[in-house]
Amino acid sequence: MKKIEAVVQPFKMEEVKEALKNIGVDGMTISEVRGHGRQKGHKEVYRGQEYNVDLLPKVKFELVIPDARLDEVVETLTAAARSGKIGDGKIFVYDVAEAIRIRNGDRGDAAV
Amino acid sequence: MTEQDIRDDFFRTRDATALLARRTERVDALVRNRWAGMPEGLALVAVGGYGRAELFPYSDVDLLILTPDEDMQRVIREPLALYLRDLWDEGLRISQSVHTPQECNHIDATNAELAVSLLDRRFLAGNEALFRQIRDPKPELGRDIVALTKERYERFQSTIYHLEPNVKDAPGGLRDLQVLRWLGKLGAGDQDLPTGVPLLFRIRCFLHYLAGRDDNKFTFERQDEIAALDGAASPEELMRAYYRAVRKIAKLATRRLDRFESKRSSLFSQFRDRTSRLSNSEFSVIHGGIFFRSAQTLEADPGLLLRLFDFAGRHGLPLAPDTEERVERAVPAFEKWVAANQPVWPAFRAILRQPKGGKALRAMLETGALSAIFPELREMEALVIRDFYHRYTVDEHTMVAIESILGLREAGAEGRKGDGFCDLALETNDLDLLVTALLFHDVGKGDPETGHVVISRRIAEAALSRSGISERALGVVSFLIDAHLEMSSAMNGRDISEPATARDVAARAGTVERLRLLTLLTYGDISAVHPAAMTPWRRQLLWRLYAATYAELTRELTERATAAEAAAVLHENIGPELRRFLEGLPPRYLRIHSREEIEEHFRLDRESESRDAAVSLTRSAEWVLSVVAKDRPFLFASIAAALSSFGLNILKAEAFSNAHGKVIDTFAFADPARGLELNPDEAGQVTRTVLRAIRGEVKVEQLLARRARVKPDPHALAQARVHFDNTASPGATLIEMVTQDRPGLLYDVAALISRAGGNIEIVLVDTEAKKAIDVFYVTKAGAKLTDDEAAELTGQVAEIARGF
Repeated sequence: MKKIEAVVQPFKMEEVKEALKNIGVDGMTISEVRGHGRQKGHKEVYRGQEYNVDLLPKVKFELVIPDARLDEVVETLTAAARSGKIGDGKIFVYDVAEAIRIRNGDRGDAAV
Repeated sequence: MTEQDIRDDFFRTRDATALLARRTERVDALVRNRWAGMPEGLALVAVGGYGRAELFPYSDVDLLILTPDEDMQRVIREPLALYLRDLWDEGLRISQSVHTPQECNHIDATNAELAVSLLDRRFLAGNEALFRQIRDPKPELGRDIVALTKERYERFQSTIYHLEPNVKDAPGGLRDLQVLRWLGKLGAGDQDLPTGVPLLFRIRCFLHYLAGRDDNKFTFERQDEIAALDGAASPEELMRAYYRAVRKIAKLATRRLDRFESKRSSLFSQFRDRTSRLSNSEFSVIHGGIFFRSAQTLEADPGLLLRLFDFAGRHGLPLAPDTEERVERAVPAFEKWVAANQPVWPAFRAILRQPKGGKALRAMLETGALSAIFPELREMEALVIRDFYHRYTVDEHTMVAIESILGLREAGAEGRKGDGFCDLALETNDLDLLVTALLFHDVGKGDPETGHVVISRRIAEAALSRSGISERALGVVSFLIDAHLEMSSAMNGRDISEPATARDVAARAGTVERLRLLTLLTYGDISAVHPAAMTPWRRQLLWRLYAATYAELTRELTERATAAEAAAVLHENIGPELRRFLEGLPPRYLRIHSREEIEEHFRLDRESESRDAAVSLTRSAEWVLSVVAKDRPFLFASIAAALSSFGLNILKAEAFSNAHGKVIDTFAFADPARGLELNPDEAGQVTRTVLRAIRGEVKVEQLLARRARVKPDPHALAQARVHFDNTASPGATLIEMVTQDRPGLLYDVAALISRAGGNIEIVLVDTEAKKAIDVFYVTKAGAKLTDDEAAELTGQVAEIARGF
């Protein structure tokens, strides 16, 4: 099993969610996060005064999927989250040792 | 009767009272029967809900076993275990405690819950003399009840209007009924129960049976099921009945708690006694609540209600319970009176503009006076709209949204550390219109067919036009309702750093003033979805969208519209001369002026051909001076000086120029000394002086010697901010100043800019609560100032802003 963590632009949230649903991935955790990557913070101007925007609002998706679906899910996610500009975000993939459904104790792929 | 019989009977008759009585009877028989084998000398007591004989289908059966002394407690351990086991086997959920009467009588904060449950004690079997040794708790127990109740309220955000309420613990729920009875038993008020209780009893019985356990959460699913079982027309109707019942209980409970609290706190009563000095000829303030001076006046003069809420909004005081009841009774007569005595908009608006207008509005909503003014608002009363996110009914969502914006303004006004949103709330002069728009923004939600935005706007337009709202105000309200989802959908679905996003929102908002209102409205609307909806994350998204759109509107100011674009904005065919006049004016000019105003400026333009300048003075909500003149240095400063010399207080001013060297200046001002109003000749004097000042026929310094003086406010002056911005506009340098307003300020700054060789292209001047927010668009020889020049000029403006 793999865990995918994807940090994407807030306005891409619905699109990504829909795209994942369309390929049959329903289970996911979505959170509102703030951060920056290489783009770092930048300065914005309001009424002539500059203010620093160091942490930008982003949305984080977390999902665990069977190994066999990894490429498909990553491709779908990338396509849906891409706008081609700085700040589109990142996808991280981890190995997952075990997954257990609390309700009935199902393990492995059956639990995700 | 078996449990099954009781259940079947209830589903047939829906008689919860009978069910409670039967269950109590059945359980009484069971626990008494089994008690026969227990050692002598003990007493078996029913407490809590069981003591009250209110055993809901899956409620715990609370038993107290009294022993004469502690030694006995060891002796009975085994027989008691057997006794309880037998009851468990009978299917009862027993919750027992073992105490001596002495323990029961020794009440402190650590066993407050035991003490409270003893209030409902009922002897069942055994040693009755022992039972009689339990004394009634001291009235101090009320303090614990109040504290526990407040804690419980906070868990539910202190509102009854949850879409999926807990019928036991939420404010106004069954627990509140008990609180009322407990405080009654402790001597704080009577024990009469409000109406609507049988419905709550019924709902809880259904909930227990449907869940098969003590589950009191009234979820959407259960609402559907119970509506069908209870014979309600629809789940929505059932919920309206539920909220009506709960509202009554919550109101009684809150009053009772307040009364209990206020009896105790001497500091509080000192404050209350001070407020009694606020009494006037119509209302008196007693113990911090508002009363009518005379009971009869309300019948003779229903319009008194408007003055009552105005008074409440001015002082931020609640209506006394007695007053609330009178108001509720007077509502039908008041509604007729309103219909016959339109327009009421000015009086309603005045209430909203009071410092604590939000509190008055809440009182109007709760007494029904608000829907007497706008019967359309009844549509959203206790209206449940089911979706995944919203937590409150539509009326409560609306009030929470309004209160969150008024809260921003209060935080800003008190100088509490806020953020940009607080400043926005302070800087807008149309907060009352924003509140009005929010009041109606979701009123169309009850109509699932058409989109609610359009319906809400139509309802608002009908209601407000009838009440005599001005055209400008209605324009703002309609715009806000129409656009109320725009910013949140842009936040969620569009890239804020993409210029097109800001451009589209800017086009929708039109002016900075409207953008400010729309941003605040979005802030309130999001905050009222549920208590945690306005996360720092969303705040930041909304703020970035606002700032980007603001920058877009600012940049647009120095854009010059072509004649064709201008004509397009006006949506009408216009003659070649008018087209020529409009050429080069920025889009903002076209957006903020009505067709009539533009026609008037055009008339002044033609009039000014022969004599350099033309002036007109009109009065609507405030005085407005319009000037069209050939541009020349010091022009704007001279007009400002001329107005100040008459003691007139400039509230707003704008200056624009067209492609043909004509300047269109408008000054909105107040006339604090009422000179213009009282002297028919004064208007002529003012316009003549302005014209002479424009032509340079009168010395400005002479004029200003006559200007009024005000006391400087060191705090406001210390906070004065001046800065320049050389990036916002492609063609001009922006100099923005925020400081304490004073007569002649505008002249001083405008004159300074002119002396430095700057040409004032555009001026936006706004004053709000003695604070002046002025933006000057300055050029020099047709171009921006260099950064050095701008910095130097800014330094000089700052001296004026901070000095006096």
